[in-house]
Amino acid sequence: MNNKILVYVTALLLSLNSFSEEILLKNATIHTATNQGSLENSDILIRDGYIVRIGENISSSSAIVVNLSGKEVSPGLIAPLSQLGIVEIGLVPETRDDTSNIYSAGLSIDSAFNPSSTLIPYNLTGGVTLTLTSPSSSGLFSGMTSVFSLSGSLEESLVASNIALSANISGGEDSKAAKILLLEDSLDIASSMWRAWSPLPKNSYYSPRDLRAIKRVLKREIPLVVKANRASDILALIDLSKRKKIDLVIFGAAEGWRVAQQIASAKVPVIIQPIDNIPHSFNELGARLDNASLLHSAGVKILFSSHETHNSYLSRQGAGIAVSYGLPWNEALKGLTKNISEVFKLDKRGAIQEGYIADIIIWDGDPLEVTSFVDGVYLSGKKYPVENRSMRLKERYLIK
Amino acid sequence: MKKLLFIIFYGFFFSYSLGSEGNKSFISTYEPENSGDFFIENTRILTGTGEEIINGSILISKNKIKAIGKNLIKPDGIKTINAEGKWVTPGIIDIHSHMGVYSAPGLRSSSDGNEATSPVTAHVWAEHSVWTQDPQMPLALKGGITTFHVLPGSANLIGGRGVTLKNVWSKTVQGMKFPGAPYTLKMACGENPKRVYGSRKREPSTRMGNVAGYRKAWIRAQGYRNKLLEYDSKSVEAKELEYAPTRDLELETLVGVLEGRILVQNHCYRGEEMAVMLDIAKEFNYKVTTFHHAIEAYKVADMLAKNHVCAAMWADWWGFKHEAFDMVWENAAIVDQANGKKGCAIIHSDSSVGIQRLNQEAAKAMAAGNRSGFNITKSRAIKWITFNPAKALGISDKVGSLEPGKMADIVIWNGDPFSVYTRTEKVFVDGLLLYDHEDSSTPKATDFELGIINPQEQRLRK
Repeated sequence: MNNKILVYVTALLLSLNSFSEEILLKNATIHTATNQGSLENSDILIRDGYIVRIGENISSSSAIVVNLSGKEVSPGLIAPLSQLGIVEIGLVPETRDDTSNIYSAGLSIDSAFNPSSTLIPYNLTGGVTLTLTSPSSSGLFSGMTSVFSLSGSLEESLVASNIALSANISGGEDSKAAKILLLEDSLDIASSMWRAWSPLPKNSYYSPRDLRAIKRVLKREIPLVVKANRASDILALIDLSKRKKIDLVIFGAAEGWRVAQQIASAKVPVIIQPIDNIPHSFNELGARLDNASLLHSAGVKILFSSHETHNSYLSRQGAGIAVSYGLPWNEALKGLTKNISEVFKLDKRGAIQEGYIADIIIWDGDPLEVTSFVDGVYLSGKKYPVENRSMRLKERYLIK
Repeated sequence: MKKLLFIIFYGFFFSYSLGSEGNKSFISTYEPENSGDFFIENTRILTGTGEEIINGSILISKNKIKAIGKNLIKPDGIKTINAEGKWVTPGIIDIHSHMGVYSAPGLRSSSDGNEATSPVTAHVWAEHSVWTQDPQMPLALKGGITTFHVLPGSANLIGGRGVTLKNVWSKTVQGMKFPGAPYTLKMACGENPKRVYGSRKREPSTRMGNVAGYRKAWIRAQGYRNKLLEYDSKSVEAKELEYAPTRDLELETLVGVLEGRILVQNHCYRGEEMAVMLDIAKEFNYKVTTFHHAIEAYKVADMLAKNHVCAAMWADWWGFKHEAFDMVWENAAIVDQANGKKGCAIIHSDSSVGIQRLNQEAAKAMAAGNRSGFNITKSRAIKWITFNPAKALGISDKVGSLEPGKMADIVIWNGDPFSVYTRTEKVFVDGLLLYDHEDSSTPKATDFELGIINPQEQRLRK
C-alpha cells in the first residue's frame, strides 16, 4: 500500500519535472525584433521552453492552444544596467545592495540579488523578462553586471554571472583627465598583476579580486561599460579602447550624436536614455530627443535604458518617443531586446526567432504605446501570472 | 464726479487688506503683444471643459478666444490655420514645477529651491529664486506647457510662496508672472522635513514633530492676525497715535492663507497624513487646495472629493522613498471618479523631463483606470493637465479650457495627444505662436543657449 503511494507520487513528480509541453500561440501580431520585422496574424509554437516554429496556420495536436486574436506579441524586454533585485527603496540605505566601499571592479552582486523584491513582479508585469543588474558605486569602477530572469525564483534567477564591468569618469572633485588616466593605469596594472611596479597613484588600491575583474576586460572576455555623455569624453574613451584593445560600451552618450560617425566606425554600442534631453550638466549640453535616431542613422547600435530602476519597463516609452523623433519602429524594439542580447552575448535571447528561448510578452496593443498593457508573460515557455503588489493595493481600494 | 469714482475705485483696490502689503511688490509686468485675429479650423478639439468637438473651429482675437464650436462662421480674409487631422487642446498647465529654481545645468550655484535652514520659512518666495533663462522652459513649451507653477522644495514644513508663471521668454520674473494669479504656499508632510532636520538633531525628526511644527506656526499666524485686526478696528484718530504693527514677512504669508488669499499646495504622500492635514486646516480654518505627490490619494479619494481638495499625482513614479512605496497606476482615475465622479485629479511632473509630456502621463493614468473598469474619456482626462490644475491655482477663469473670453493658450498636436507618438505642432500663449514645429527659430532660445557648444549657433540649432 505504502509502496503503491510512493510509485504514484514518483510518477506525478516525474510528470511535473519532465518538461515536454507544447504551447501554440495563435493569430497574434508578432513583433520579432529581428530583420523579419512584424508578422500579422501569425503563430508561435513553443516546445520545452524554446521557440520552435513561427508562421501562419501552424497546428499541433499536442500543444495547448492560446488564441491571441487582436493581441500583439514581443520578446520580453531586457533592462540593461538596472539595479533590479539589489535596490528596494531608493532613499532607504538598508534596502540597498548596489554600492560597496570594500570592492570596486571586483564587486559581483550575485549573492545579494533578491528575486522576491517587489520590483521584480512589478517590472515583469510591465514587460521586462531579463535584467542586467549592475552595482552603482560612484568610484572609477562600480563593479560587475550579472544577468537575471524576472521569474522570482530563489534557485533559478541567475542567467549569466559577471558579464560586464562598469566604470564612471564623471563626478567627484578630480579632473576627468585624471579619471581617464587612472582607468588606463588600472588596465595596465591588471595586465601585469605586479604590484611592485604599480603605476597607480597613492590612495589607489585594488584587491586581487578587483584586478582579476579588470583583467577579464583586457582579455576581451567582457566589455567595459563606461558612463560618459560629453562628445569629447566619448572620443577619449574610444581612443583608450583602441589602444588597449578592449570592448567598450558607452552608457549615457547624451552628446553621442555629435560623434556618431566615430562611434559607429569604432563599433562601440551605446546605452541611452532617450527620454532625457535635459542639459543636466556641462557634460551633456547637447542632450536631445533625436539622439537615438541620429546615432542609428550613422550606424551605431543603440540599446535603450529607462530613466530609473523602479520603472525599468518604461524604457519602452522612451523607445516610443525615439520613434516619434525619427527612429524606425523595428529598430526601437531591437533597442529594447535584441541589441541588448547581442552586445552582452546573451545566448538565444531577445528575439522571437526559431531556436530562441521563449521569453515572450503578450500586449493588448502596440508594445511601445503608453496606453498598452501586458496581458500575458511567458518565461522560458512557462506562463507567469500578471500580478504584483501594486495591483493588490489597487484591488483593495478600487470602488467602482 | 469722475474724480470721485476714481477715488472710490482706487480705494476699493488698495484698501488695507490684512497682511497683504507684499502684494504691491513684484507685480506682474507681463503683457503680450497683440496677437491679431486668426482662425483654426477643421480640427478635433478637447476643450478642457469635458467636451470634445469633432471638426470644430476656434476664433482668436486680440490674445483671447472669441468663439469656439462646430459651425463657426469664418470672418472674411482672416488668417487661417487648417488643422485637419490634428488635435487641439488648451495649453497644458503643470501645477508642480521647479523650473527656474532648480535650473539646468543643475549646479550648486543654481540650486535655489530649498531654503533648508529652518523648518518654517513662510517668508521666502520662490519667484525670488527664478532664473528666467533656464533652458528647461523652452523644452517644456515644446511639450505644450503654457503655464507652470513654481514651488519651493519640500525640505521644510512650510517652504514659502509659490508663483504661477506664463511660459514666455522674459528678462525678468515679473515679466513671466501670470497676471492676477493668487499666491500659493508650499507645505510638506512626511519624510522630507523630518529627514532634513532630524539628521541635524533638531525638530522635527518625526511625523508628530512635523504636525506640531505646522500647528505652532498657525498659532503664531493667528496671533499676528489678531494684532492686525485689532489695529485695523481702531478709529482714524487712534491709528494716528500709534504705529501699525511691524510687518512680519513670515506671518504675512500665513495670514494670507487664513484670509483665503493664498492657496495651500501641500506636498503629502500618505493617506493618513492627508487626513491629519485636513484636520489641521479645520483647526485653523484654512483650506488645503491640493495635495501634491499624492501617491496614496486613492486610499482617501472619497475624503478628498468630499472636502473639495485636488490631488496632484504622477502616473507611475514610485519607490524612491518609503512613503512612495504604495503607488498604483489607477491613482488618478480613482481620485477622478470618487464621490460620484466629483473628484479633482491632476497629473503633475515635478520634473523637467516629465513636464515635456504630461499628455503621455495623463494617457497612462487614463488607460490604467479604464483597464480597471472605469470609462474615462479623453475629453475628461485632458482636464487633469488643463482645467483642474488651473482651478487648483485659482486661474480657471482665465485659462485651462477653450472658452470665449479666456486667454488663447492653445496647443495643436500632430495626432491624438494620448499617444507616445504624438508631438506638438504649434503652441500659442495668449494667441502668440511661441513654438512652431515648422520654424526652427522657435521656441526663442534662452540667453544660456546662445553660442553654447558652438559659438555660431544656439544650443542644438543653427
